Amino acid sequence: MPVRVNLDRVLLDRRMSLTELSDRVGVTIANLSILKTGKARAVRFSTLDALCRELDCQPGDLLTFESGPPDSDD
Amino acid sequence: MRALGPGSVSSFLKIILDVIYVGLWIFVSLLSLFTLVALLFSFNPELLAQMLPISDAVEAVSRDGPLFAGALAAWALLLGGWMVIVERLRRIFATLTAGDPFHPDNVLRLRVVGLILASLEVGRYVFSGLARWLAPKTKVIDDSFTLTAWFSVLVVFVLAEVFREGARLRREAELTI
Repeated sequence: MPVRVNLDRVLLDRRMSLTELSDRVGVTIANLSILKTGKARAVRFSTLDALCRELDCQPGDLLTFESGPPDSDD
Repeated sequence: MRALGPGSVSSFLKIILDVIYVGLWIFVSLLSLFTLVALLFSFNPELLAQMLPISDAVEAVSRDGPLFAGALAAWALLLGGWMVIVERLRRIFATLTAGDPFHPDNVLRLRVVGLILASLEVGRYVFSGLARWLAPKTKVIDDSFTLTAWFSVLVVFVLAEVFREGARLRREAELTI
């Protein structure tokens, strides 16, 4: 997908682990891993809201658009 | 009325499917056994003559035995096809009762059901043609074209596509964080 998730970079900047973020936002580590590895198909506004609040960032810090062919659907 | 659990429509349907499945098992087993016996007697009428001292019966078996065995085998095949359909429906029902009706495997199961329904209908035409050729005077099986059967096949394939889309939506829901 041309939309890339930069969660790992933001976590590194904040020196926060995925487990700690999981505890703070109430999303399981498995789901955060899906998000971090770019396998997620959609992100709820409520999840994005919680992530931005806990990581003290903007949605644009977490998501970036890169032009290119879209990934094929399963 | 409840969708799942005791007293629901699905539990009622599950009982019906289980009963039909067991019934079909018994019928297919008996038909297979009778086919083997008919084949044995038709190729060896002396064996029947030893067991049953009626000359007319022995003559009838040696004359019509192979055709009778063929008819029994065709019925066993037909019921076997129904059994596979019922077995697939039972598996689909198992996913429904597990709360996951749009499991990706159900798409293939429904397609198999559609293919078997179509094959059984084509098989009926083939068998009735063979029967008319081998025994022109006796009507072994109805050979009329039934639009309802082909409509059923169409319905099953449409449902399979609906389930495919349902499985895709389920996958998307799983990957929504």
